Amino acid sequence: METNFIYSLLGNNLLGYLAVCILPLVFLIVYALVAILGELKIGAFMQDRLGPMRTGPWGTIQPIAEVVKLLQKENITPDAASKFLFNLAPFIIFTAAFAAFAVIPFSPKFVPSGINLGLFYIFAIGSFAVIGIFMGGWASNNKYSLLGAVRSVAQIISYEIPAGMAILSIAALAGTLDMNEIITKQSGWFTNWYIFGGSGSALRILFLPFTFGIFVIYLIASLAETNRTPFDIPEGESEIVAGYHTEYSGMKFAMFFFAEYANMFVVSALLTIMFFGGWNSPFGDFMSGPIWAVVWFLGKSMSFIFLQIWLRWTLPRLRVDQLMYTGWKVLLPISFVCFFAIALLAMLK
Amino acid sequence: MDLFEIIFYFFAAIVLVSALVVVLSKNIMYSAFSLLFTFFGVAGLFVLLNADFVGITQIMVYVGGILVLIIFGVMITTKVTGVDIKEGISGKLQYAGAGIITLLTAIFLSLMFINGKWITGSSTDVHATIHQIGTLLMTKYILAFEAAAILLLIAFIGAALIGRRKA
Amino acid sequence: MGNYFRNIWLGVWTVLVGMRITINHLVMRKVTNQYPDRYPDLKSLEEAKLVPTNSRNRLFVDKEDCNGCKGCERDCPVNCISVETTRVTPGDTVPLLRSGGKRNLWVTNFTIDMAKCCFCSLCTQACPTSAIVHTSEFEYSEYNRNDLVYQFSPFSPEEAQVKKDMFANYQAEQAAKKAAAAAVAPAPAATQENV
Ligand code: SF4
Ligand code: SF4
Repeated sequence: METNFIYSLLGNNLLGYLAVCILPLVFLIVYALVAILGELKIGAFMQDRLGPMRTGPWGTIQPIAEVVKLLQKENITPDAASKFLFNLAPFIIFTAAFAAFAVIPFSPKFVPSGINLGLFYIFAIGSFAVIGIFMGGWASNNKYSLLGAVRSVAQIISYEIPAGMAILSIAALAGTLDMNEIITKQSGWFTNWYIFGGSGSALRILFLPFTFGIFVIYLIASLAETNRTPFDIPEGESEIVAGYHTEYSGMKFAMFFFAEYANMFVVSALLTIMFFGGWNSPFGDFMSGPIWAVVWFLGKSMSFIFLQIWLRWTLPRLRVDQLMYTGWKVLLPISFVCFFAIALLAMLK
Repeated sequence: MDLFEIIFYFFAAIVLVSALVVVLSKNIMYSAFSLLFTFFGVAGLFVLLNADFVGITQIMVYVGGILVLIIFGVMITTKVTGVDIKEGISGKLQYAGAGIITLLTAIFLSLMFINGKWITGSSTDVHATIHQIGTLLMTKYILAFEAAAILLLIAFIGAALIGRRKA
Repeated sequence: MGNYFRNIWLGVWTVLVGMRITINHLVMRKVTNQYPDRYPDLKSLEEAKLVPTNSRNRLFVDKEDCNGCKGCERDCPVNCISVETTRVTPGDTVPLLRSGGKRNLWVTNFTIDMAKCCFCSLCTQACPTSAIVHTSEFEYSEYNRNDLVYQFSPFSPEEAQVKKDMFANYQAEQAAKKAAAAAVAPAPAATQENV
């Protein structure tokens, strides 16, 4: 199956590879601008404010202004920092975030790399970000950065387990780790999505609480893994300035920023793929096809981005002990129960 | 030299250079962080050999688990830079011991490389490794699989026990 | 165990409640006042609401209502009000205060230095006739600091001088009368008066 229209366009050569690499990067930049604006505007609206209004009509080019501002800023490297690692960390974090885009199927005709381990790959590549955060926090030679890094890593490795259980459940349900295959298995009407138990007998209705539960668990765990509110303890401004990126400025800070937005998209895309049928149209054959697929996929992912922003402007930050309680004592046992139930469902099929 | 070879040498260089940094750096933190690149390079080599499952597992287990553990451990140690291991007569002995062990290992490994029988398989069916691995683990290698599981369980219980012990 | 599940349920429920509130606010009318870009028209009722009714801005003194009691001057914590009064000469034509009271003092000089004012509103509370009030005028910056000293006396300095002289004359007259009366009266009475 040809999963990449670019290869059929440009051929299987270096040019094709380059184009395949660059396309998600272009998308990422455009998306990040939209997401930044969304964050500013939605946050403002939820607080009955108007948000930025002076750059462009209704402040629509505000994100560009922000990026330009970040580019102009001085790139400070603290004297006492471990220079090489300090400068390396943002790149590692951004690379880790961007590497996940390699397996995200935007459309049946465009998957940058259609490996058969997509889900596992995304899960594994996240561990680079952990090291990057550690590197940034340690190399800054600043107690707040170090504390932020330690908190961040503790949080990410705690929430990786429930997230892993959620991914395992979907793997059990789909019988594959290939993203495109997972999506193809959910084709048809929206009742075939894995949040409703996938296609199969009507008996799957009984498992709705479990599939829905594992969805909520993955949603919460993914919020924690991307350090978004209410799990932004690693960058809790009121306690540790800005956590692991306290010392960063200018473009290096922008890399952290971009990485956060890239991660947001990756988890939203994963939620879409694993539970909401990816690029499938919700209405069977109606409005489906490679182009519509992109629309559906981005539409679904963007609604999850909206959900993340919505949650961010609703909930206050958790305390560290609450975070650990939620992770280990609530999400983990429930995810095990859900996993076993879903494994049963997979066996019944 | 085609693309495959370029990529191979690229990853090989990453592995070698970062491994050298791991060994030679005076700062433990640098060693720990350059392990990241070693693991990454090894994972890349695995993927080049069509063993993408092993490659990704390498990242998952070594970068996501072991390396984080190492860095956590190192960070808690007070002496991060210039840990001295070559003072006095015992230091000399350490050098001598390390040299002998390295030499023996090198000889052993090169003997293995020269005399070993290399299994060369076809690399056509790339897309099915995970199914084959899964089936094999559940049939032919079930004993090893279960043994590993039990080992992990014991380690788990042990860790919980140590963690719960009152000071 | 029951507590555990109740906690989880409460957590989920309260998050949902919070999300309902924020989503309602998302579509609500916004309160931001885009002030320098869009100037609120204080005359239109709808827009005037944008300036809160109890906001404290530039002070205004109703000259026809100020009886010159100096209450504001005494109460001002930063001494930015200075009031100078003179007694009304009997027989002068005196209009009643706007609030209906009788006027005993002319306000010959009344300045408020709005550059010093800290908008504590103590003066408005001290005023017995509510002559001094905060207006909704908030845009009154000046290039020269002295232009922020506002004058609220009903008289120009010359007119004030006229009133002052009038009273001084009257006092002199009274004193002269007294002196004349004292000269006429017998001496013991005068000593008695001095006691
Ligand atoms: S508001 Fe306060 S500071 Fe201003 S004039 Fe009145 S008493 Fe003085
Ligand atoms: S308190 Fe009122 S009446 Fe008295 S001097 Fe001040 S403004 Fe005039």
